Amino acid sequence: MQRTIIRELERLVGGAGVLSSAEDLLLYEYDGSVEEAHPDAIVFPRRKEDVVEIVKLANRHEVSIVGRGAGTGLSGGALARQGGIVVAFSRMNHILEIDAENQRAVVEPGVVNLDLSRAAEKYGLYFAPDPSSQKSCTIGGNVSENSGGPHTLAYGVTSNHVTGLELVLPEGDVVQVGGRTMETPGYDLTGLLVGSEGTFALVTEIIVRLLRLPEDVRTLLAIYDSLEDATDSVVDITARGIIPAACEMLDGWTLRAVEAYVHAGFPLDSAAVLLMEVEGVRESAEAQAAEIIEVCRNHRAREVRRARDDRERALLWKGRKEAFGAVGRVSPSYYVLDGVIPRTKLTPTLLRIEEIAKRYGFVIGNIFHAGDGNLHPLILFDHRDPDQFRRARAAGTEIMQLCVEMGGTLTGEHGVGMEKNELMPLMFNETDLDLMRKVRAAFNPVGRLNPDKVLPLGKGCGETRLRPFPLSAGRNA
Amino acid sequence: MSQVAVSLASRLGEFVGAGRILTDSISLASYEVDGCRPSAALLPSSEAEIAEILRFASAERLGVLPVGGKTHLHIGMAPHRYDLALDVSGMNRLLAYEPHDLTLGVEPGVTFADLDRKLREKGQFLPLASPFAERATLGGIVAAAADTPLRYAHGTAKDLLLGLEFVTGEGIISKSGGRVVKNVTGYDLHKLFIGSLGTLGVITRLNFRTFPLPRDQRMFVAAFADQAGTFALCRALMKSQLQPRILDVLDPGTAELFAGRGAGLPSRDSWLAVVEAAGHEAVLERHARELASMSRDAHAAEFIVLDKAQRDQLFGCLCEFSPIVSGATSAATIFRIAALPTSMPALLAEVRKLAERHALKCAILIRALSVIYVALLPPADPKISSGLPSCAQELMDLCNRSGAAAMIERCPLEIKKALGVWPPPGTEQKIAQRLKRVFDPQSILSPGRFRGGI
Repeated sequence: MQRTIIRELERLVGGAGVLSSAEDLLLYEYDGSVEEAHPDAIVFPRRKEDVVEIVKLANRHEVSIVGRGAGTGLSGGALARQGGIVVAFSRMNHILEIDAENQRAVVEPGVVNLDLSRAAEKYGLYFAPDPSSQKSCTIGGNVSENSGGPHTLAYGVTSNHVTGLELVLPEGDVVQVGGRTMETPGYDLTGLLVGSEGTFALVTEIIVRLLRLPEDVRTLLAIYDSLEDATDSVVDITARGIIPAACEMLDGWTLRAVEAYVHAGFPLDSAAVLLMEVEGVRESAEAQAAEIIEVCRNHRAREVRRARDDRERALLWKGRKEAFGAVGRVSPSYYVLDGVIPRTKLTPTLLRIEEIAKRYGFVIGNIFHAGDGNLHPLILFDHRDPDQFRRARAAGTEIMQLCVEMGGTLTGEHGVGMEKNELMPLMFNETDLDLMRKVRAAFNPVGRLNPDKVLPLGKGCGETRLRPFPLSAGRNA
Repeated sequence: MSQVAVSLASRLGEFVGAGRILTDSISLASYEVDGCRPSAALLPSSEAEIAEILRFASAERLGVLPVGGKTHLHIGMAPHRYDLALDVSGMNRLLAYEPHDLTLGVEPGVTFADLDRKLREKGQFLPLASPFAERATLGGIVAAAADTPLRYAHGTAKDLLLGLEFVTGEGIISKSGGRVVKNVTGYDLHKLFIGSLGTLGVITRLNFRTFPLPRDQRMFVAAFADQAGTFALCRALMKSQLQPRILDVLDPGTAELFAGRGAGLPSRDSWLAVVEAAGHEAVLERHARELASMSRDAHAAEFIVLDKAQRDQLFGCLCEFSPIVSGATSAATIFRIAALPTSMPALLAEVRKLAERHALKCAILIRALSVIYVALLPPADPKISSGLPSCAQELMDLCNRSGAAAMIERCPLEIKKALGVWPPPGTEQKIAQRLKRVFDPQSILSPGRFRGGI
């Protein structure tokens, strides 16, 4: 990048607000997916006006801009695929207001997800979306990706909790959409913007809804000798009218890897465990927990454990939340997938994934949000072996195809980004994609903002194109 | 019918086949919107037919209004052009329903009541109970962003709609979202269609998530002498651990309109807080106990538990607020005002003063502490009071000043013409216009009806 651009950026935000040396830029070549792309400069705005000026500068010099939060994304959404300027929001990390009485918070995009819940805790409130990376991921990133988490089964994803946004459009205009109220007359632009993966606008302020912390939580762990019994339990629990706050499953291979690392108490010879949580009014949590235990026993659960206190609850969750880390110990790399299928198709889908694993000669672990059918198959491979790379990629594509064939989708919460944009034709035809391109152009007419994401490159090419090394090797997942 | 209209009708007839084009004035009268009557109403039976009609209409620059149960056509401004009514009420099949997945797909013309009956057979429901349930279609409910008392627990269409299939103004068949409960693949174009009044496309399929019916439910009513007590209860409830599924507040005007409808409401001249809890017996008992105590603390005059028949009646009244109000006074002007709970008491006090100054009765319903419906009720004889237009204008100004997001949902045509029904456009207007051009470049779909003249 021209030196003049760097100097102009420095004039805008000060020398300490810009990174451009090769070694500094290296850190911004990755996100949680270990896709790679090389930015030319990183700039750290402190206020909306900085963002506006950065955008105008990028327009004058015709360089790309990409927004970035904590860089924990799992689909390459925050990587500068065409180089250019990365606008890193880590200094715009202020909680501007917690309006406890109206259960709203106004935050800058760089606020860390868990920090907001911690700040709201003294009012008995919290921010419901809880991605596994919540200790480090930012609310701006959550808005871009429409992030989920284990508790979205009952409470919905980020989109259900954002009421308004302040945006800087790629042409430099500042626009407010939505507001503090639950609805505003006109098109629901907030709904469209959440999940647009940073391709429509840079978000400079976010208004979110906070929920009341539940009075009671019951955490259960059901242990099974058969995967099918576990998946049947999931279907039966919802058939009984119970919507757990969370319903997570680990298959036999994964629970063994986790147990070796976390010592959560998972029996090594079991075929699956279900981690479930019900919460809310005390009487309701108790009654639902009792009913879940009955369902699990009817489906031949070997054992159903209840966390007796917060320590036991934390231990059970540790097994789930640190599962990716546990897998990282036993394999040089892994490819995390993120498909969704209808809940009733869990058993046949898992059997087909097992077939695919055998055919490709890989171990594929399964850990997933069973309640909403959101699978996270983990393909274990060694990224140093180019042939394994190729085969892992092919196996991943087959699994995504399988999810779509089962009536599901390509991504439930990780986003499309640059990981799956070439797989979009599995779900959308060229007409659908063209309409999405035009909608993007309504916000981002020359494609300066976060280019080459979400939609397939090469307009008119309906077939699935695959890049040489599009794999998530799970470095930070 | 003019020569032009005759030739138009014969060309359009080719798209839908005999018997599914209406051109006689008696039939067309039922499609009238704000005094505008179309030249023809078409009753397509498939997405492909809709696409052909819209391609033709786009080429000919004909104004088209998508129509379902004709229950929410009063919302929005009068159309700039209205040549064709595209009536999708005949597209009324349940396309997919897998109870164990808690998901379904329907054509746009399925009525809420029909769907509700089918879901209840399987012990489930879609929390979108809306006004005119027997006639209102799912396509219309979504396009009009019709409101429901159940939003306190279940949110609105935004929280329930998983995906859409639609035809754009140019006749392009497309889709967005999916059929599973969790999905971030591609842009959420379907969210734009909620409340879009048919300005972006014609909906041909809707996918929703469903919920298991609660095991049991109980509705409570606390009566207060004034607004202050009612809000004290609401504040206490928001701070409590209770998780009701309904929390609506009625002013004395609305309580009076609902009286005599079998809901067993307490004495007249009261503000009423209506709360419903659902779940196991122990949960209902706890709500009963704590709500009674909170009501006492807030100096409620009465606290009653409704029996099932009364509950069903009152639930019906809450859903049917708008039709009940306009049934009472055809010139009723109903505002839909989104506001924050803490701003409501002051705003309502102003609203009531305003109505009093203009000698207008009003009826107020506060929905889920999110939206205030204010109905201004002019007397039958307009000579007694002509304060309606100025009162409506002042009310709109008051909302705009106080940061509430207001629109007029229903009003006499004169008011609509004089005041408009939308708040002035904001900074988002440029994007809204560009999006309209993406979906409907010739601006043939419901032209002029939406916010900002879209």
